[in-house]
Amino acid sequence: MFRRRLAGVLAAGVAAATVLAGCGGDGAGSDGPVTLKVLTWEPGGTEYWQAVKTTFEASHPDIKLDMQAVPFDKYPEVQGPYITSQSGPDVMANNAGLELFDRRGAYVPLGEKAAEINKDLVTYSGACEGFDTSKECYGVPFSYQGNVLYYNKDVLTAAGLDPEKPPATWDEFGAACDAVTKSGKTCLALGLSGTFPAYWDFPEIARNYLTEDDIRGLLAGTLSWTDPKLVQTLEKLAEITTKGWTNKNAPSITMLPDGADIFQRGDAAFAGTIISDAVNWDAFGKALGDDKLGVTRWPAINPSAPLAQKFSGIEGAVYGVTKWSEKKEAGLEFITWLAGKENGELWVKHAKGQPLNTTVDPSLLPSSPAFKKIQELVADPTLHAGVMLSGPEADALARGWQQVTLGQLTVDKWAEQMQQALERSPTKQQGR
Amino acid sequence: MNRRHSAQIGRYLLIFALAVVAVAALYPLLFTVVSSLKTQTGFARDPLGLPTSGITFDNYVEAFKRMDMPRLLLNSIITTVAGLVLSVVAAMLVAYTVTKLRFRGGKLVFLLIIVTLTIPSQAIIYPLYQTVLDLGMSGEYQGLILAYAAFGLPLGTYQLAGYFQQVPDELIEAARVDGAGHFTILFRLLAPIATPALAALAIFNFVWMWNDLLLPLVIMGGSDSKTLMVGVSMLSGQYDVSVPLVSAGLIVALLPVLIIYLVFQRQLVSGALAGSGK
Amino acid sequence: MSISTAPAKGPAVATPPSPPGRRARRRPGHAREWWFGALLVLPAVALAVTFKVVPLVRGVITSFESSSGFGDSSFAGLDNYTRMFDDPVVLASFRNALLVVATLPVWVVFPLVLAVLIHQRAPGWKFFRAVYFIPYTIAPIVVGIMFRQILAPDGPINAGLRAIGLEPLAIEWLNGQNSALFSLVAVALWSFFGLGVMTYLAGLATIPDEVMEAAYLDGAGFWRRLFSVVVPMLRPTVAYWSVLCASGVLIWLFPLIYALTQGGPGNATMLPEYLVFLTTFQFLDRGYGSAIGIALFVFVAVLSIFSVRHMFTEGTRKPR
Repeated sequence: MFRRRLAGVLAAGVAAATVLAGCGGDGAGSDGPVTLKVLTWEPGGTEYWQAVKTTFEASHPDIKLDMQAVPFDKYPEVQGPYITSQSGPDVMANNAGLELFDRRGAYVPLGEKAAEINKDLVTYSGACEGFDTSKECYGVPFSYQGNVLYYNKDVLTAAGLDPEKPPATWDEFGAACDAVTKSGKTCLALGLSGTFPAYWDFPEIARNYLTEDDIRGLLAGTLSWTDPKLVQTLEKLAEITTKGWTNKNAPSITMLPDGADIFQRGDAAFAGTIISDAVNWDAFGKALGDDKLGVTRWPAINPSAPLAQKFSGIEGAVYGVTKWSEKKEAGLEFITWLAGKENGELWVKHAKGQPLNTTVDPSLLPSSPAFKKIQELVADPTLHAGVMLSGPEADALARGWQQVTLGQLTVDKWAEQMQQALERSPTKQQGR
Repeated sequence: MNRRHSAQIGRYLLIFALAVVAVAALYPLLFTVVSSLKTQTGFARDPLGLPTSGITFDNYVEAFKRMDMPRLLLNSIITTVAGLVLSVVAAMLVAYTVTKLRFRGGKLVFLLIIVTLTIPSQAIIYPLYQTVLDLGMSGEYQGLILAYAAFGLPLGTYQLAGYFQQVPDELIEAARVDGAGHFTILFRLLAPIATPALAALAIFNFVWMWNDLLLPLVIMGGSDSKTLMVGVSMLSGQYDVSVPLVSAGLIVALLPVLIIYLVFQRQLVSGALAGSGK
Repeated sequence: MSISTAPAKGPAVATPPSPPGRRARRRPGHAREWWFGALLVLPAVALAVTFKVVPLVRGVITSFESSSGFGDSSFAGLDNYTRMFDDPVVLASFRNALLVVATLPVWVVFPLVLAVLIHQRAPGWKFFRAVYFIPYTIAPIVVGIMFRQILAPDGPINAGLRAIGLEPLAIEWLNGQNSALFSLVAVALWSFFGLGVMTYLAGLATIPDEVMEAAYLDGAGFWRRLFSVVVPMLRPTVAYWSVLCASGVLIWLFPLIYALTQGGPGNATMLPEYLVFLTTFQFLDRGYGSAIGIALFVFVAVLSIFSVRHMFTEGTRKPR
């Protein structure tokens, strides 16, 4: 009796497994449209990527997109095994800069096609070797990213400061912070956990000491961290926290969402965050009111330094065709479309981001005053020092800053640790 | 009299201590529910308080809009239930063999299986993926189900062996003399005795398999076959971490687990009664 | 019925086992029984070998290679292992792991106390039993998000401490060298104690009520009763839960480290599991990452050697 029931259960199990196997496989019919597997962390949000899928498929009936969306914080763990086993998606994304260069072996170089595909973009050097468009490029970007200093006009006014004249130099910033702190608010909202300090704060200070050649040296691993220019950069980074300009829990919180939330809830005068995706003019404008939100460049330490008044810009995610893909043609068609006008407009509309495509209809662009100010700032770009850092360097930068803030480390020792991290970095050893 | 009095006080203290722990246990769930009813700016302004600027269900609407809920739910149920059943059945077979059969090498098998408990998952992600790929199971339900079963195996085997081992051999001999086969003994005699262990094991495995992120991501790689928990964690992007939205997604993802738990809790109680009634 | 400290013989023990022994019995059935047993353990062995042992062996091979990024790798001998000994981060991570392990007694005893109280039918026990398990059902990603708010300098914990006049205790929990690590452990304990309570309750259910009642009537103090009566009877369950904690605690902390501190401030909350993740996926140093992973495997194996040995004897001993 019992045995018969068991047999029944087993039979049902086998049947279920067969059904599963049937619907698990993505039967890629030989005659039907080509299905492209696209690995992405959906920068810009699900809504934008749904728009990409429907719009692209509508104009390309022979290609279907199968979006493999992976949470951003798990992306390396999913992509890594794909790359080492040379299998998986047809199109993948990586952030422009060292992250992409480290993985360039996984992508088909675009060769001479790069210039043609990317012709309407403000810049695409972040997708190319050594930020040099005359060398090999591995994919296409379509969004623009970089850092500005947002400020809350009400908090500045309450502290007796002129909200139309935000501090432009380091000394002015210090004086403003003293006034804000006296008024009972935090001056600069900051979170030092994770790699945000490397990508958001470091390049803004480094611009006061480095030239574009120096930044390329950073990428190649030839500029030593014990070089006075970099030591001075670290000193100024340390000042931000040791002078008491920030929230006290900065060493233990992440910038997102906690650091940014301090600013969003109106408890801080300044927040150094990004221009696209999230915690930008759009999100802050909604939280504080568009008219209360100001935007400025980070204060200059050496206003006459060659890069001090420029914008450290970087392309956002770069999409490239994988080396192992059997559908390279279709993949190329898709990434070419990503660089085009149609996608640029989707990006503005759904992701509220800064587009790289210059042919985007200007009437589609937002009318927020903060957004307009950002358009002025980004007009004069330079290299972004943050994306030149390897994993160990970005990690050591954040950890060192936390320890300096808590008084556990001196700046000189921090610089030494940075140099050790550089020497530990497997991908930069390769370059030398 | 005095003694009873102090016993009374001790009783109150006891309830108080239990209640404090209960509050600590419940507060975060409440926090999640409250957060899910706030707007993102409302949360940023006041992460801890009650929603002051009105309650919103937008996060739930948004979560449903962004996630293909029926499909994600189906994927999670298939992989979790199949992984759970497979892992428990395989563990029962081993436990039975090792404790109740004359099986040379049984100790070695048992050791092999419980030692795998100490293998750190982070250290084997790459080779695990390669192995799944070699088996042609990447992106397939079977791959994830088998991996779940393998990861749930050591504890299940150990716990069931502990239970089976306590059942006197005479009982089994008697059943055998009565003409019962191995499977009858295992499923009709031993399984009921081990009900509390089976229920605890089922809950433990269900929860971790349901909540796990790493195995489904590495083995299933996203796309249509991703699990509900992967869908929930997709609600936050590279820069865009909306706690209210993630909270809403989580409450939705949590409901099946809570329901399962409440169902199994009955089972646990009845298991307890069966145990003490004997 | 007298109380002995011998382990419980299970619920089905109506009569004490008499030892007829099956040792000296029919030989011919032996081989058949062996094959049958082999068949039964086959699925489990196949699973364990395919998804755990084979990947581990492949991991060991990688740990002897030097690999830079995703490029080709070359044989590096023991380099990756010798490198660990003068890497301060690796040393810090294992030091922290030892500190975490030192908290294990709390992990074992705290849920046991709660379980016994519930089992004694303390008023409201059904409610408590249902509620205690809830934290375990909440996914780790959200536990991290919640506790970032809860542990904040002006969060509810500190507000509560200040309200009851314990101002000096209201510290910045995640900022300190030791407080950060122990805060993480506390959050992990919060997240898992319900599982422990449930496990113990399942174990307690196998102990006949009379035995427990006799112990209560005995009039012994709570703690004495706990350790001299309940623990011995619950030995298999206590062992199971200890093993689960010993092998799991470092893994359980991983998502919390990710959400709460990322190993910081400095290296205060760096643990080997997280370091493996950083080294492999952020630093793209697979060989070194694997080597740290293998070191972690050895660490956990040594740590649980006693428990595994205990598990082994518990699971294979036959009452003869």
